[in-house]
Amino acid sequence: MKKISAGRIITYVLLAIGGFIMVFPFIWMLISSLKTWAECGSMPPTWWPHNPTLENYIYAFKTAPFLKYFRNSVIVTIVCTAATMFNTILCAFTFSRLKFPGRDIIFSLMVSLMMIPYEMLIITNYTTIVKMGLYDTLVALIIPFTSSIFYTYILRNFFLSIPDSLYYSARVDGASDWQYLWEVMVPIAKPSLVTIGLLDALACWNSFMWSILVVGSVDNRTLPFGLFAFTDQAGVRFERLMAGSSIVVIPVIILFLFCRKQIVTGVSKGGMKG
Amino acid sequence: MKVTIKNLTKKFASRDKNGEPVIAVNNLTAEFESGKLIALLGPSGCGKSTMLNMLSGILPVTSGKIYFDDTDVTDLTPDKREVGLVFQNYALYPHMTVLQNICFPLKIKKVPKDERIARAKKIARMVHIDEYLNRLPKELSGGQQQRVAIARALVKNPKLLLLDEPLSNLDAKLRLEMREEIRRIQRESGVTTVFVTHDQEEATSISDYIVLMKLGVMQQFSATRDIYNNPANLFVADFIGNPTINQLHGEYTSSGFKPDGTDEIIPIKADVAEGTRTILAARAESVTFNKGENGISAKVNDMYSSGKDWLLNIDIGNNNLRGYCDADYELIPEEIIKVQFKDKGVFLFDEKSGERYC
Ligand SMILES: Nc1ncnc2c1ncn2[C@@H]1O[C@H](COP(=O)(O)OP(=O)(O)OP(=O)(O)O)[C@@H](O)[C@H]1O
Ligand SMILES: [Mg+2]
Repeated sequence: MKKISAGRIITYVLLAIGGFIMVFPFIWMLISSLKTWAECGSMPPTWWPHNPTLENYIYAFKTAPFLKYFRNSVIVTIVCTAATMFNTILCAFTFSRLKFPGRDIIFSLMVSLMMIPYEMLIITNYTTIVKMGLYDTLVALIIPFTSSIFYTYILRNFFLSIPDSLYYSARVDGASDWQYLWEVMVPIAKPSLVTIGLLDALACWNSFMWSILVVGSVDNRTLPFGLFAFTDQAGVRFERLMAGSSIVVIPVIILFLFCRKQIVTGVSKGGMKG
Repeated sequence: MKVTIKNLTKKFASRDKNGEPVIAVNNLTAEFESGKLIALLGPSGCGKSTMLNMLSGILPVTSGKIYFDDTDVTDLTPDKREVGLVFQNYALYPHMTVLQNICFPLKIKKVPKDERIARAKKIARMVHIDEYLNRLPKELSGGQQQRVAIARALVKNPKLLLLDEPLSNLDAKLRLEMREEIRRIQRESGVTTVFVTHDQEEATSISDYIVLMKLGVMQQFSATRDIYNNPANLFVADFIGNPTINQLHGEYTSSGFKPDGTDEIIPIKADVAEGTRTILAARAESVTFNKGENGISAKVNDMYSSGKDWLLNIDIGNNNLRGYCDADYELIPEEIIKVQFKDKGVFLFDEKSGERYC
């Protein structure tokens, strides 16, 4: 039989404990959301619900338009992420491949913008949005998040690591700059792009503060805001709150399960490239 | 397609050690005949890649003109020149399979998919990589990658094929195989080809013509056979040929060449003033030995093998030289023997400028 060293066992035990600590709240949330009001409050707490019920979910969907929130979240996330990706790719290409006077200075200025705290941007963005007459629209949720200097910076560095000879080779093969970008650079950068896209989608999906600021009506709420409002509606009913939270979290977990491989390879590759 | 290069110059903004701008290619004029294989030869840093990149359009020229047949292509971008280019590191697209790599230039040209694949497969067969069409470049050996790169360069039927040291990453045996392969492919396709190398043997074994460069300046442009038998200057004579040409330093006198460190004279006629410092250069096969009375005296040092042949190492005055001898030559170290020089393969150069006198 294969011998397993003590160190190995300890490692696995520690990892298992760590993993459990990470995952437990989510499991507890899901379990609680299936319990009745009485069981949820019972002492000592039960592990598996005696009578699993979807009651709480039905209540959640009835009291708050979660489907609408969900739709809004999906729209905002998809449009934001798509726009960010598109802008990031073009911008990274411009600052890595094209040559024009002042390129590097402009880029350093852009990078230095990352130093401005988010909270400060919120105020100016807010007044801009209001002046544009976009208050309480989905567009207001989208417009400020259609580009990212940080992602541009990461992608530019990746693009810079692609050898020049590929560019020249593509040019000699008859490709224009535009074709080179989409036929060669983007496919090569796919792992990084998937990572960037997922990080951005997560940030959009979870974005909370901004939506509270620029959205008033129920119709334009996204899930996090909706959930926040739902806490009032659910009151002290813990199991209902958990059902609402599950509705918000589950789609993200499913997305992660589907894209797990890309995320992991994307992150580790990005890491190796430094 | 005929390629005409007129007064081609490329200056880089960077400075050399004297603070002068680097002139990577200096006022180069040449004409490459259609369907020939031309080797661009020279030591590292002499401007070969720069030259090639100007032909492909990757690098803009500083001054001068490039014509493909009668069309001035000097200001055309690479995608408009219809050239095929193989980089030193092959530059295959890492995310595409071999087939996709070869198809890429046709895809850009919007050739219909069926035709694209048919043409790619035909070329793949020609360069013997049709078994690997579905592999990624990283799953291929260096030699296979190189052939993919050549296939990709050839598939669009370029008017000019440019190869930048395509063999330098390969082991010695594969290198020999591949250069014959390149020669065969070039003959079969009949495409005018410029082949960059710093290996004189590679250049002479594969090419119809050789352009020999040094520090951006073309030293000689002639048929491959001539460059060995008829070098334009000392640099060319020294660069071409293995073993390296023998060089004897000395003085030109009315009766011939007097090597340093001896009073004997090697009879040679040239149009030079008496007393000029010169170098007599002699190919190893132009040096003959005898134990009789004819020729100039020399002291025997050693004898060694260079593969199938034997070389005898001798001193004439202060100069050391080597010549071919028979394998059964009876070696007596320190023995004084006589040396004669044939007419062919013996040249006289100016010691300072390297200019050829005869
Ligand atoms: N982009 C550049 N900027 C400045 N100087 C350059 C540039 N490219 C090449 N040079 C210089 O031009 C000269 C010729 O370079 P080139 O690459 O053509 O040499 P090469 O003959 O191809 O050498 P090798 O056999 O090593 O590839 C060198 O002195 C080099 O330093
Ligand atoms: Mg080079």
